[in-house]
Amino acid sequence: MIELAATILLCVGGFFYFAGTLGLLRFPDVYSRLHSLAKADNLGLGCILLGLAIQEESLAAALKLVLIWPLALTASAAVSYAIARHADALAIKPWRSREQK
Amino acid sequence: MMSSLMITAILRRGTLLLLLWWILTEGSRDGWVMGIFAVSGALWLSLRLVAPEATRFSLTGMGAFLGFFVCNSVRGGVQVALIALQGRRALQPGTLEVQLLLSSAAPRILMAGVLGLMPGTVSVRLDGRMLLLHVIDERMPIAAEVRALETRIARMFGESL
Amino acid sequence: MTGLEFPLALFLLTNLVVALLAAVRGPTAADRMLMALLFGSTGVGILVLLAYAGGGSELVDVALVLALLAAVTGIAFARRAWHAGDTSDD
Repeated sequence: MIELAATILLCVGGFFYFAGTLGLLRFPDVYSRLHSLAKADNLGLGCILLGLAIQEESLAAALKLVLIWPLALTASAAVSYAIARHADALAIKPWRSREQK
Repeated sequence: MMSSLMITAILRRGTLLLLLWWILTEGSRDGWVMGIFAVSGALWLSLRLVAPEATRFSLTGMGAFLGFFVCNSVRGGVQVALIALQGRRALQPGTLEVQLLLSSAAPRILMAGVLGLMPGTVSVRLDGRMLLLHVIDERMPIAAEVRALETRIARMFGESL
Repeated sequence: MTGLEFPLALFLLTNLVVALLAAVRGPTAADRMLMALLFGSTGVGILVLLAYAGGGSELVDVALVLALLAAVTGIAFARRAWHAGDTSDD
């Protein structure tokens, strides 16, 4: 039962990493790429950590895995703000779709 | 004579640090001598760097915020993954300027950071109360979601909007 | 153990390499900065997976330290971006 849940969580995690990279390749400007990397990759990491943590027998070791998540989130939030701020300071304009123009 | 503020700060932070030591050593009992030194050192340092003061920080508010945060970051991840699968046709990006109601700097900075992980938004510039956001899809009800997040952050910091 | 850890770690590594190749031709400096984000989350993911694929629990500590350092550098980065801006704030 737990093993099934863990397998599902790991696969879902892998899928979100894939979606994050796909967004990175497909999206037209730095701002939308930020959306894809910051959100999808972190969710992927969260799923993988949870998938590993539920298989762990020791509670402390499971909590240690879960503790990694907020640290990675803090890093992403800070770095993505820094990148967006920098792009804005460089006067990079956000991409607009054809219907919007 | 220690003030009661100091005593509660020592108890709270000490418990947190002990818990952290327990997690980091994966519950092993071999290193407890090191642990006592490490925890007391960290406690001393924390009291020196961040002096205990009366705050209106609310723990139940923090619980509510964390629940909201986890739900919405899952939603944000799913949403952006679906957009990535559809390619740039599904994009309709734009910018949105929000006036924050939060009165102090720390919650505003937290807000700008957290919005980078919430559905559809990335913070581009925080300037005083003005927050410039990049939104991935202009058709989403972003303004309402920003307000919902702001309410929870305000409650956590004990501010009234 | 699900036996999935190692293949998944390889998959993440492939993801990282593909993104890296894309970044080399990234049009702006800001695009290349995206790699800092990618290395944080993907690197940590690969490390924890390898720890459970037989690499030993020390790798979880490595992942934890990597995430911690990424958080600290990220904050330093954001603070710099803050002060470098044309409009200053308190």
